[in-house]
Order: sequence, then C-alpha cells, then structure tokens
Amino acid sequence: MTKIDRDDIQIISRNSNWSEKNIDQTLKENIYTSKEAWQKFLRLFFISLGVGFTIAGIIFFFAYNWANLDKFIKIGLIESLIIATTLVILFTKLSNDIKNIILTGTAMLVGVLFAVFGQIYQTGANAYDFFLGWTLFITLWVAVSNFAPLWLIFIILINTTIVLYSQQIAHDWSFVFITTLLFVINSVFLIAALFVNTITKKLNPPRWFTNSLALAAITASTIGISYGLFNTPKGVFFTLITLALIAYGSGIWYGLKAKNGFYLSVIPFSIITIISVLLVNLSDDFGMFLLITIFVITSVTLVIKNLINLQKKWIN
Amino acid sequence: MDKLAHIKNILDKIRLSEGTTFNYNEDAIVEEYKQLTENTSSLAIKILSIFGGLLTTLFFLGFLAITGLYDSEIGVIVFGAAFIIAAIAINKIVSKLIIDTISFSMYAIGFILLAFGLYNLNLGYNVIAPLFIIIAMCALYSTQNYMFSFISILIISASFIALIVLNEVYNFIPLYIAIYTLITTYVFLNEAKILASSKRVSKLYDPLKTALIFSLFFGFAVIIATDLMHDLTYQLWFLSGIIIATILYLVSVIIKKNDITATKTKLLIYILSTLILASTLYLPAISGALLIILLNVLVNYKTGLAIGIIAFLYFIIQYYYDLNLTLLTKSILLMSSGIVFLLLYVFTSKKLNSNEKI
Repeated sequence: MTKIDRDDIQIISRNSNWSEKNIDQTLKENIYTSKEAWQKFLRLFFISLGVGFTIAGIIFFFAYNWANLDKFIKIGLIESLIIATTLVILFTKLSNDIKNIILTGTAMLVGVLFAVFGQIYQTGANAYDFFLGWTLFITLWVAVSNFAPLWLIFIILINTTIVLYSQQIAHDWSFVFITTLLFVINSVFLIAALFVNTITKKLNPPRWFTNSLALAAITASTIGISYGLFNTPKGVFFTLITLALIAYGSGIWYGLKAKNGFYLSVIPFSIITIISVLLVNLSDDFGMFLLITIFVITSVTLVIKNLINLQKKWIN
Repeated sequence: MDKLAHIKNILDKIRLSEGTTFNYNEDAIVEEYKQLTENTSSLAIKILSIFGGLLTTLFFLGFLAITGLYDSEIGVIVFGAAFIIAAIAINKIVSKLIIDTISFSMYAIGFILLAFGLYNLNLGYNVIAPLFIIIAMCALYSTQNYMFSFISILIISASFIALIVLNEVYNFIPLYIAIYTLITTYVFLNEAKILASSKRVSKLYDPLKTALIFSLFFGFAVIIATDLMHDLTYQLWFLSGIIIATILYLVSVIIKKNDITATKTKLLIYILSTLILASTLYLPAISGALLIILLNVLVNYKTGLAIGIIAFLYFIIQYYYDLNLTLLTKSILLMSSGIVFLLLYVFTSKKLNSNEKI
C-alpha cells in the first residue's frame, strides 16, 4: 500500500492530464480528515470549549466580588467545585484526554481559590505569593497527569512567580541574573522533557511542548547576554555565558543526533543576534551597519545551506 | 531508488482510475521530485529565513539612515525599484531555497524604499498602494517560490487595507472581509480544481492558502483595533450573516463526510449551529476564526489549524473584554456557553457511540 501525500498529488497533477474528479477523489481518500479523525476533533473541541468557558465564567463570577456573598460561601463554593471535578476525574470512565482537560480546568480553579483568598484577606492581586501558592498546590496533579498543556501552564506559572518575586521582593537581583535564572530553569525542564522517554517509554512529550521550552530558554539567554554586553560585565554575566555555551553546544549535538532541525536553526540565530549586538556595541557608524547587514545575511544563508544539506543526508 | 518505485506505484494507481487517456511527463515528474528533496523546507527553515530577512532589512535601513541616502527621493526610488527587480530576477534564475533570505530581504527593502521615496515626492497613498498591488501581482506572475508568493499576497492584502484605512472609508472593511471569506472558502474547497488548472496557479496553491488566512485576520484585526464594532453595527451583522451562511454550508459538507443521514439529527445540528453562531453576531471575527478552523480540519492542514485556534482564542478574549456588561452578566453568559458546549460534547459522544454499535 503506497502512502500518498500532498506533494505527490501536486507534482503529478502538474505534469499530467489527471482529471479534476479523480484528483478530488484521491485528496478525499488520502489527505482530508477522515470520519474518525473528525469525531475525535469534535469531541476534543467541544470539551475544551466547554471546560474553558465554564472556568472563565467562574473566574468572572468571583472577579465580580459579590459583596452580599459571605466569604465562607465564596471559598466553600470553589472548594466544592474543585472536589467535585476531582471526583469526576477519579471515579468515571472517561478517556484519559478528557480527564486531563478537566484536570487542567481544575488546576485553574485552584488559581481562582487563591485569588479569592487574596481578595478576602487583602493580600494584593499580583503578589508573587499568589502565584507561588498556585504553583505549589498543583504540582502533584501536573506530575500525575503528565498532560503537556498542563505542564506548560505550570512552567509559565513558575516563570511568572520568579519575575514577580524579583520585582516585588528581591530588588537587588540584576537583570542579567534574572535572565540567567529563567534560562537555567527552562533549560532544566527542557532537558528533562527530552530525555524522559529514555527512562520510561510511556512518556513522550509532544514536539510543540519541547520547542516552546527551548524557545523560552533561548529567548532568556539571548536577551540576557545582549543586555549584559551593553553594561559592565559582572560575575553573573560570565556564568550566563558559560552556561549558554554549554547549553548551545549540547543543543547542537542533540539536534544533530535526533535529526531535529529546530535546535539547529534557533541556536545559530541566537548566536547571530548576539554577535550583531556585540558589533553595534563596538561602533555605530554606517560602515558597521553595512558590515552587520552583510554578516547577518551571509551567516543566515550559511545556516540554511547546512540545514538543507543535513536534511538531504537524513532523508537518504 | 525507493522514490522512483513510489512514483511508479502512484502513477499505476492513477492509470487504473483514469483509463488509457491518462498520460504524463515522467521526466518532469522525476525532476520535480529531485527539486523537492533538494529544497524541502521545514518550518524551521522558513522561520529562519523570515527572521534573518527581517534582521537584515532592519540593519540595512539603519545603514541608509546614517548615510543620509534618504535625502534624495529619486535615488531612493531607483534603489527601491532596483532591489525589487533584482529580488525577482534572483528568485527566477536560482530557484533554490538557500537564496530565500537574500531575495526576501531585498524584496522587503525594495518596497520600503519605494514607499518612502514615492511618499516624499508627494504622491499620495492612493497612488502608492495600487502601484504596490500591481508590482506584487507581477511578482506573483513571474515567480511562484513559496516565500515570495506568500509575501506578495500579503502585500496585496495589506495595500487594500491601507487604502481603506487611510481614506477612512471603513464601510469597506466588512466588504473586504466578506470577499476574502468567500475566496478563502472557495480555495479550500476546490483544491482539486485549482491543482488541475494551469501549472502556475497550481504552484501558488500552498502559499495562497496560508496568506489568505492571514489576510482575513488582518481585516478582523482592523475592526478590533479601530473600535469599529460600535459604528458599523449593521454592516457587521450583514458580514456575520455571510460568514454564518458559509459555515452552515460547510456544516453540510461535514455532515456528509460523517455519514449522518437521519433527518432529525441533521435538523438538530443545523438548529444548534445556527443558535450558537447567532450569539456571535456582534463580532464576526469569532465566526470567521471558527470558519478557518473548520476549513483547515476538513483539508487536514495543521499550520492553518494552529493559526486558526490562536486567532479564535484571541478574538473570544477580546470579545468578552470589550463587552459592556457587568462581570456578573459576563460570568453567566460564559458559564451558560460552557454548559452548552459540554452538552454538545455529551451529544457527540453519545451519537458516535451509537453509530459505532451499528
């Protein structure tokens, strides 16, 4: 049985008198979404919208801050909702995907709970401890479910907590230190996500998840190093550079080994950006700008050329 | 070679259904496959060439600003035109993925310089925008490279929007969106027809699909950014009507695909869809994004689906944010929609289970 993909259909139709009717037939049988896939999509779409809208409604309800509602009722309502949804997850025979979506909704309810708690006892809405509490109390669920969207929310919460902590409490943290911290944390999660399936075959984080983590880590290091270049270098800056060098090296190694072009394009692009910033830092007359233009275009083209060559090697 | 056997296999299969009149140019097919394996562009490469191109453009414009080349209008125009022509020429001669970044940045720089020069010559936007549309159309005609065509189509759409916004004839925005909605739907549902037409058009198919999605969302973005919701109520209702009618047509296609034949079920689906869609009458962006999602699921195009979902979420959040109601009313609205969707979930699971039993 030959598997036909879009490229096959396009190339052959361009170079033959293949009739429209039969192209349509081939597209419908081989490319377009099948009945089963439609049903799976509709089920996931409806449950996500259902859970999403309901949770959003609950958030708005408590944001309204109904004055006549006693604080015990407010907190009690959310807690019983959390208990009810958890019971649904534990004692029904729904599919794992559906249970995970409900659990993600429940994790959001924990956030609502902390927000309402903060509202009643006036702890301040943006305070880092609100996010810290939220993060800590969903950790177990995140670990148990191993649902990528929930993991992503969890990691976003950790990043938010750190940024807020640095703004509200740790005023002496330098900008470079914060980016270093974010870089390290996201890298650690990335490494864990990439190698977890060598420990248990059951866990296989999706590509979009690891790519988002890698992007977060690399954005942090690129911004941190570029910023650091414009200021007097301190100890942290050298730590960041050393860590970034090690991480970039391992990233390239992994990309080559796992035949993943993503790492082989993002890491060089980060390096190109950093070098451009360094060059601007050295001089900002017109000659330098022309030089950087040529540098960027040549280096990006070279990276693409190497990527294409690698892809050719990987295919054969 | 494995690939050759693969092609032969498919061709044999097609011959079975097409009969003896089926003929093809085997050399051309093999050649295109060779081109394909040499130039397979992953998403990573596409993004790299776009960002690389943008970075280059930025630094080059910085260079021009410092040298003071902007002072001479004619110089800027000549430079711009030369860049555009050179970009098209390079793309036409070396149709290799490697030069994508170079030609893309030259193309972008060319347009920016041209716009700058023409504007300084006191030629208003009513001359510049149509000129850009013509240039981009010529580029589309002469080279069908993915990146290039994608950018050219976006330039055409952006020029139309610029004409509407700068002339402050906002009434045309709903018209723009309605036309793009119909074109996009037509393009998605008639893939076979477009592929079977001329070679040039067939090559434009992939970039056209993605660029149309972006162009459509440009239109919605203008509505949201300029707060047109309150001034153009009736026009937007009319637009919603068109989008909803398109979605209902799409629902009929989906019903057929899912082998739903019972009249009662069909009727129920139509009524439910109409009711849900009618609740978004004020902001056609939501039904528009939904249309894009459904179209992309139908033809199984993942990138488009991802763009559609992100836009859908954004528009919904924007919609509730702008809604002039108390938080409590919003909360009730949201929760009731949530419950409707949960019921729909139960309904689809039940229906599907009973289908499987038969």
